[in-house]
Amino acid sequence: MIKALLLRRFWLIRHRFITTLAFMIILPLMLHVSITMVMKNILVHSLSNIPYDVWVFPGIILLIAVSSTFAMIYRDLFDLRIHKKSFIPITMAPYSKFHLVVGFLTTSIIESLIYVIFAMGILTLLLSSSLPWSAYIIIPIFAFLYTFLLGNLMITFSVLTDRISTYLYISVFMFLFIIFGTGVLVEFDFYPKIIGTILSYNPLSIVLTQLRQLLFSNTIQGDLLAIPVVTSLIWTWMNGALLKRRLKQ
Amino acid sequence: MEASITLKKVGKLVGDKTILASLTFGVERGSLVAVIGDNEAGKSMLLKVISGIEYQEYGQVFINGLDAQKRRLEVMGSISFVPHEVDLDPWLTLEQNIQFMGKLYGVDTETVNTRMVQLARELHIIPYLKRMAGELSPGIVKKGMLLRALIHDPEILVMDDPTAFMDAESYRHTWDLLLRLRGQKTIVYVSQSLQEVEEAHDRILVLEDGRIVLDGSLDKLLGSTFEFHQFQIEFETLSDDLFKILSKLPKVKNPSRIGNSIHFYGQERNVFFDVLNAASAAVMKDISVQKLGLQDLMDAKYAKDGIH
Repeated sequence: MIKALLLRRFWLIRHRFITTLAFMIILPLMLHVSITMVMKNILVHSLSNIPYDVWVFPGIILLIAVSSTFAMIYRDLFDLRIHKKSFIPITMAPYSKFHLVVGFLTTSIIESLIYVIFAMGILTLLLSSSLPWSAYIIIPIFAFLYTFLLGNLMITFSVLTDRISTYLYISVFMFLFIIFGTGVLVEFDFYPKIIGTILSYNPLSIVLTQLRQLLFSNTIQGDLLAIPVVTSLIWTWMNGALLKRRLKQ
Repeated sequence: MEASITLKKVGKLVGDKTILASLTFGVERGSLVAVIGDNEAGKSMLLKVISGIEYQEYGQVFINGLDAQKRRLEVMGSISFVPHEVDLDPWLTLEQNIQFMGKLYGVDTETVNTRMVQLARELHIIPYLKRMAGELSPGIVKKGMLLRALIHDPEILVMDDPTAFMDAESYRHTWDLLLRLRGQKTIVYVSQSLQEVEEAHDRILVLEDGRIVLDGSLDKLLGSTFEFHQFQIEFETLSDDLFKILSKLPKVKNPSRIGNSIHFYGQERNVFFDVLNAASAAVMKDISVQKLGLQDLMDAKYAKDGIH
């Protein structure tokens, strides 16, 4: 099934190759210009004295992963389900709903990782100081975990929502939360203490915080990282059950 | 013959409305079954329940003897559904839509391509295979949907209005293919075209308010239900007295009057001569005798009440 879904993604990219390529180049540049270049004038260094553009780099990369995952999940589980009705024939194939969810997640994660690697290549050229080579392995691994978690969130509201207006409202809210509530732009130490503490235990924040810890101080809290991993696995199973219930199949 | 599809007391509710009410019937393997009925009769829902797109609220559906709900994964490989509305991915070519479905069902690339070309040739859609599905006319898309449904060679084909949006030629190509498959596959379809159903069926199910009110071949249904002929005589002037006289003739059933025409039913053709004798003094302009068809069967008045 995953092979079929991947092949379909490949065909879709091939049909709009120029648009996809433009998206792959413009999005990282746009984020660099609108976030990194602006914010580094306000926050020159992070609290642990890392140049801001280097510190924010993993966050920007994860934002790119979020954007591409969002586009794919929206298309497959909302647009094709509600508007084009092409989702139903896929659900009739002899696979459990859990396997379908895993299939959609896997294809969207794989495609997102391609965008992530491409964006890392572009943004590296614009950094004031270089990252260790291990960052180019570690960031995609954490991007995998981040999109696994976020893909599940998107699948949940794609399956639960039937109206485009509600969907857009939730999407805007989600993007605002990701940008301002998961430590992408500024460290949680800048937030009021209680809010910062609460936000730092959000599974999405944990992934990003641990990624930065590993990159910039070579430490990682495995027990904390288990939270997003376990959450993602349980959520995937729950999304399978939710899809089954919503489709009445 | 062995049953391919069996429904046991199947009921389906949408909100608090009963869409299917305790349906029990079986469909023989290899047969061609047409489902007809008024709007909101539950036809499309019946197809969805049979094909596993939506589960019933109560009762059981068996596909080849397997409970379709409990053993879904085993059952779904042998069934295919063509919905009324277009459901191809508009951003893929017709060929890619078909190949994707083949891959999804685990059919190898060579078999998919061979089958696709063969079926596309029969449906006369080879020139459209490389075109984006979103750019094709609905009639071509509908044929593409049929091809896609057949790509994994299902034993059971369920179709909601299979020839919707099609011109006469496409209609003929589609039915040429479906009639070739008759006997090899169990085919259940819904159609709004009674002419289509009269031409292609082994059995007709007439659905009304979620219940099967009639079940059998056209000849059987018309024979057992009516054995009536429909007569119409147009007079130059049809007086009230003459209409009353004709209406009271013993074998004249359900007489009605439209302008100067009398319209009635009769079980035996000789009733017509009784009427002609009784009306011999009046000037007649036109006469017609017609055997009852599916349209008459579907006329709610007669389907419900019969002819008295």
